[in-house]
This record gives sequence, C-alpha cells and structure tokens, in this order.
Amino acid sequence: MNKKENFFKGIIKENPLFVSLLGMCPSLAVTTSLENAIGMTLGVFFVLVLSNFIISLIMSNSKLADLVKPVRIPVYIVVIATLVTIVEMVMHAYLPSLYFSLGVFIPLIVVNCIILGRAEAFASSNKPLDSVIDGVGMALGYGLAIMTISIFREFLGKGTLTVWGDLQVNLTFIFDFLKIEPIAMFVQPVGAFLTFGLILATITAIANNHKNKLAKKVANNG
Amino acid sequence: MNKGLISGLVLLTIGIVCGLLLSVVNYFTAPKIKEVEDAIKYEALAEFYTLADYDLSEVEGTGDFGTIFILKTKGTENIEALVYTVSAQGYSGASQKIQMLIAVNADLSIEGYKVVSHAESTGFGADIVDNDFNVTQITDLSRFDSVADVTETSNGILTCFTLVSQRVGNDLGGGLSE
Amino acid sequence: MDNLIMLAFSAFIIENIILSQFLGICPFLGVSTKRSSALGMGMAVIFVMLISSSVTWLLYKYVLEAFSIEYMRTIVFILVIASLVQMVETFLKKVSPPLYKALGIYLPLITTNCAVLGVAILNISKEHNFLEMLVYTTFIGLGFLFVMYIFSMLREKLDFAPVPKAFKGAPIALVIAAILAIIFSRFGGII
Repeated sequence: MNKKENFFKGIIKENPLFVSLLGMCPSLAVTTSLENAIGMTLGVFFVLVLSNFIISLIMSNSKLADLVKPVRIPVYIVVIATLVTIVEMVMHAYLPSLYFSLGVFIPLIVVNCIILGRAEAFASSNKPLDSVIDGVGMALGYGLAIMTISIFREFLGKGTLTVWGDLQVNLTFIFDFLKIEPIAMFVQPVGAFLTFGLILATITAIANNHKNKLAKKVANNG
Repeated sequence: MNKGLISGLVLLTIGIVCGLLLSVVNYFTAPKIKEVEDAIKYEALAEFYTLADYDLSEVEGTGDFGTIFILKTKGTENIEALVYTVSAQGYSGASQKIQMLIAVNADLSIEGYKVVSHAESTGFGADIVDNDFNVTQITDLSRFDSVADVTETSNGILTCFTLVSQRVGNDLGGGLSE
Repeated sequence: MDNLIMLAFSAFIIENIILSQFLGICPFLGVSTKRSSALGMGMAVIFVMLISSSVTWLLYKYVLEAFSIEYMRTIVFILVIASLVQMVETFLKKVSPPLYKALGIYLPLITTNCAVLGVAILNISKEHNFLEMLVYTTFIGLGFLFVMYIFSMLREKLDFAPVPKAFKGAPIALVIAAILAIIFSRFGGII
C-alpha cells in the first residue's frame, strides 16, 4: 500500500464512522452545532495522530516491544489517556466555551474505539511515519463524518451554521421564505439518531447502486 | 529476572513519565483555567454592580445556595448588597436545576436577577428566562408574574426568590460568617 | 428522601443514558439483536458500573483530591475500570461459573464501553455524595437495561419486516432509536 492510499482509506473506504461504525457516542452527542463538531475533530485529531506516532515508536523498537507486548493494552490506554488529559486541560484554559459545550465527551475520547482500534490494528505493526499518515487520514475521515451530521442538524434545527465563535452563517431566511420555523427536533437527541440513520441509509444506497453498476459492466463485458 | 515483573516495571515507568508530563502541562494551564473560571463568575456579577467600587468577599452557601457574594463599602464592614447564587427544581429532570443570580441591596430592593443555567426546551421555553418577572422588593413576591405554559420553570424561578427572601434579612443583619 | 426518588426517576427515564446522553451506543446497536443478549449485557453493565463508580468515587475523594492531582482523573479512572473488569472476570469464573457463563462474554466489551467511564465522571462532575452516587449509578444502569430490552424486542420483530434494502441493519435501528428518543424526551415534563 503506498502512502496516498494509506491516507485516503481513512476518509472514504474505511471511514471509521460511516463504514466501521466506530466512535458513535460522541458523533451523536456533540453534533448539535458545526462548531462543536469542529472542536471534537481537533481533539480526536491531536490524540489519534500522536497516539499512533508514540505507539508505533514504542512498538517498532524490537527490544522495547518485547517488554511491552504482555501489557500492551494498558500501555496504549495510559498513552491515550495522557494525551486526552492534555487536550482537556488546554481546551479548558484556552477554549473555555468549547470545553463546556463538549463536556464529558472530551475525557471520553479515551474510550473512543477508533483510537484504541488504530493503535492495535495499525500503529503496533507499522512504521512511525505510516502510522502518522494513517492517523491523519482516519481523524480527517471521522471529522468530515461528524461535520456532515452536524451541518444537517444545525441547519435544520436552528437555521444557522456556526463555524467558530462569532463566525456564523445565518440561513434562517430560507425558513422565512418557506414560512416555517426551524425544526428544533433536530438539535435534540431525536435528531441525532434520525440524521445519522438517514445518512447511513443514503450511503448504503449509493454504495449498492455503485456495486450494481460494476456488476452490470462486468456482465456486459463478459 | 521474571518477565512479568519487567513488563510491570515498564508499564509503571511509562505511567510515571506520563504523570510527570501531565503535571508539567498542568503547571502551565492551571493558572489560566482559574482565570477563566473567575472571569465567568464575575462576568455575571458585573452586570449588577461596578465591582471596583466595593470590597468583595465570598461565602459558600449550603443546600440550595451556591456562592454568596458580599459587597461592602470600601474599607468598612458595612454591607451594601448581597448577591446569591441559588438553584431550584426546574423543567426536565432532577439534576437539571434552574440556577439564578439574585442581587439584593441593603434596603431589600432587588438590583437585578439573572438565570444562569436551565434545561428548558429551545425556542419558547428558553426565551422566558429573560422575561421580566415584576419583582422589585424581595419582601414582596405577591406580584410575581409567572408565564403561562412554562409552569415548571416559572415555579422554579419563584422558588429561588422565595428561598432568598427567607434568609436575606438575617444575612444583612450579620448572619453571614465568612 | 424526596430528592433521592427524584434523582432515581430522572436517571432512569429522563436523563436516560442511551437516549438522551448518548453513552453506550456501541453495545446498544451491537448487542441488541436478541433479547437474551440484551439482558446479559445490561446486567453486566449494571454490575461493573456500580463497582467501578464506587471505587473511582472513593479514589477521587480520598486520593486525587487529597493530593490535589485531579488532573490524573481520566488515567486513573480508565485504568481502574480496565483492571476491575479483568478482576471481575477472573472472580466470576472461579466463584460462580453459571453467572460467568451468562455475563462472561460481555465483560471484555465493557472496558471500552463509554457508559461506564462516562457515569464515573458524571458522578464526580455532578458533585454527588456517596449515597446519591449509588442511587444515580444504579438507576442509570437500570435505564440502560430497560432501553436495551425494549430495543431488542423491537429488533427481533424487525427481522420479519420488509425493510428497504438501503435501510437494512444499522440505519433502520437508528431510525427506531429516534422514535424511542421522541417518546423518552417527552418524559421531561413529568418532573
């Protein structure tokens, strides 16, 4: 696998959220606004890239790897938890409003299956550089997925799109034009499940369609 | 040497390294975090009074009361105003309390009040917390305007006022120990 | 007493851990295809949650706070949970084989179940005392079990329903969860 494939697999083919259904909890909880989704992405990006890097550094040194092997899961957990705590403290100090709106889901990045999953499945058996590329791809894939969900939820639920702080696009005129109110249900828990379910169904439909076309092409050629 | 023991030691070493790293980060972020939390605390207070004009002290309340701020005339023991952080049951669940700041002057008139946190549904429910509830004297809550259709929240806000009215006289008379 | 009942009720229904706090979604979707496995998972979660919340609460109050190293919270909690799960597993295997048989396969899954760590952290951030912590944790766990069980019954029926191709599997499960969430969100008016 070359580096380009390694990078893009996390975004589309092996997208952690839409394809592997990993890391569902935060993706449902923090997607009430685009800003929160972007903040969560930053957190996951930092933790995933660094944990992949550190773990592959440890595991690619054969002497150290031998010692760590029997206790590797606790070691991964300690490394990940440290990174998460750093994110938590830095966010609390410098981005307080984001810190309060993400709440308990910042420390919960520790148990986000994506991070431990990549550590075990990729970083432990690959070189540091490859692991970093894998981490960047996976984190971006996850980030794009939760941003997609949050764009639908925030637009339908509040009629706005908040990118960061005061940088906000107000689209309520669309609702005014249609003479309806924004559908508040979408920023409530209901909207999380519904939006995610419908997006997944759409992706499945597109994938099925694509497969059918490929199958037809093969049949025609044969 | 025993292999399990070595692995354990490796884990311990990594744990200690991580702990040290965290304490370093904490050393840099802790003062900043405190600053942020203080800013949040005093920002709401500054809506009622110019804080630089008073000697400010704080008492931790018990039960439904959070921090109680005491504003004294500069350089004296003369209490000019009390600001209560008080909470009561609101809409949607036991831990979703309504929290209010209520500022009472020494003559028992209300300088201002503010709903700090609540769990009302977005839209209509959330708007009412900015409502004017027609309370000007803490001793007279009979003219409290509750809002139709958001009964739970209105009741919660009235409870906050009532709780303050029950103790404010005693507090102004020197019942607060710092 | 009144507020304990209130706390219990809202932990059970209003602040339901799955449908309004979005914790423990992975087992909710993954292990809810059969009623028996939903029950097993729910029981295992209640069990582990109670033990781990008690231990982490005590550790936080008497060790972390005493040495003012609260920032070690996440590391300590997750290590405690991981090792507790291991210990519970070995303990059950030796002491009660039938219980181990019922819960055993779900235990390893619990380490990465965000519900367990989530409740441990929530108990700290909501500043519960020991009794409140016990009540809250128990009823959050029961709420988890309750919703898992309802959901698994619905999914058993779903096997016989003609679902559009694109919705098969996770998408239709999420849509059903949305309908359940509508019902649960309306309980907010009770208190």
